[in-house]
Amino acid sequence: MNLDRRFDRLLRWYPPSWRERYGDGMIALLEDAYAQGAVPWRVRLSLARTGLVERFRASGLVGASTGRSEQLRAGSLLVLCAWSAFVVAGSIFAKFSEHWSSSTPPLHRSLASVGYHIVEGAGAFGAVVVAVAALLALPPFIALLRSGGWSSLRRPLHRVAIAGAAIAVLTAALVIWAHALSSHDRNGALVPYEAAFLFWSAAVVVAIAVTTGSVVAVVGRLDFSYRKIRMLSAMALALVASMMAVFAGVVLWWVQEASAAPHFLANNIGDGIVATSRLFPPAMIVASLLMVLGLAAATGGVTRLTRSLHAKGGPAPSASR
Amino acid sequence: MVKRRRGTGGALGRNNEPALLILTSLASGEKHGYALLRDIEGFAGIVLGPGALYGAIARLEERGLIEPVPSEDRRQPYRITDFGRTALADAVNEMRSLANEGAVRLGLRPPARAHPSLPIGLGGLG
Repeated sequence: MNLDRRFDRLLRWYPPSWRERYGDGMIALLEDAYAQGAVPWRVRLSLARTGLVERFRASGLVGASTGRSEQLRAGSLLVLCAWSAFVVAGSIFAKFSEHWSSSTPPLHRSLASVGYHIVEGAGAFGAVVVAVAALLALPPFIALLRSGGWSSLRRPLHRVAIAGAAIAVLTAALVIWAHALSSHDRNGALVPYEAAFLFWSAAVVVAIAVTTGSVVAVVGRLDFSYRKIRMLSAMALALVASMMAVFAGVVLWWVQEASAAPHFLANNIGDGIVATSRLFPPAMIVASLLMVLGLAAATGGVTRLTRSLHAKGGPAPSASR
Repeated sequence: MVKRRRGTGGALGRNNEPALLILTSLASGEKHGYALLRDIEGFAGIVLGPGALYGAIARLEERGLIEPVPSEDRRQPYRITDFGRTALADAVNEMRSLANEGAVRLGLRPPARAHPSLPIGLGGLG
């Protein structure tokens, strides 16, 4: 492999616009510094980290945005990323807690049930908010396509299509396999199936991440009116409220289950299924950590949104209509 | 919370170490990336990574503190702008003021106002 390609590969973490602007200079620097030997892992990791930071900057998620509209857009997109973390966490929670009521004594179900219903209700509300926001983004999206913007949307949309197709194939394969297994095998007794389920879960997480990244990239190219951006910002704040409600519901459910049905949280699938799942405790911990991470990102988004909404002055120049 | 009072409005930003190092290096003349790394290592003993260096270069360029020099070579040189010089001078004065105050409070030198006619940095010699 020649030097140029060797160093060019190290810059793949950076966004294309950055590579176009600074790529030659960075490759020249790397050639000067490391032409005689291997690039140390410390430097490789540093390039990966700074490259990802630049990608986040390029999408407007971090760093100083230029105007109020851009700040509002960046804040809303940060909230959308937080929602994606909640989608993953909520899916884990839904999968592993589905038989909770049969493992909990009837007398102790009421509070846990309230928590569970809060999670369901707030999750559904959040999904509706995201769907309405997507509908709001549809006209600018079509306008961009009509004005010849397909070339700028092709890559992110291809990524979403590939991720979606891969998940569809994997899901179909897993469902066909699952139908041929007993309940006992599906719930932890058959290690290969458990491994396949883990692989499928990881693929879903990657697909959600790819889709979110692509949505961020596409929305960054859309031309919103200032009024519409304010509407999207208000919806982002509503989405944060739903995430907080989901988290509160999970905490309430968890606390109640921990006191009333600790055996369920420890390992038991419940609902008369005698098999136990080794995945249950770590999965629920991962779900909670993801929610905390999502709330932290949402807080960053809300901070941007409220600062911009309370700032004096008119909309940014980029808000055209 | 850190507040800045001077005219350039804290143009170097809060996390300003690589930015300060780069501006200091460029204050003595234009340099490309690798020359900046070597120079900074030489005068400050700090080894910046390529990513950190170019991240800081991009921010400095965005803020108009440095600018690229037209070049045929891939090694893109940069130079400090007038605004960059002012921002660096502000930062240097701020650090000098802080260093003087620290020296006075540590008893390393008497208060500078005892000799108001002397330039900053020479106050302790009298």
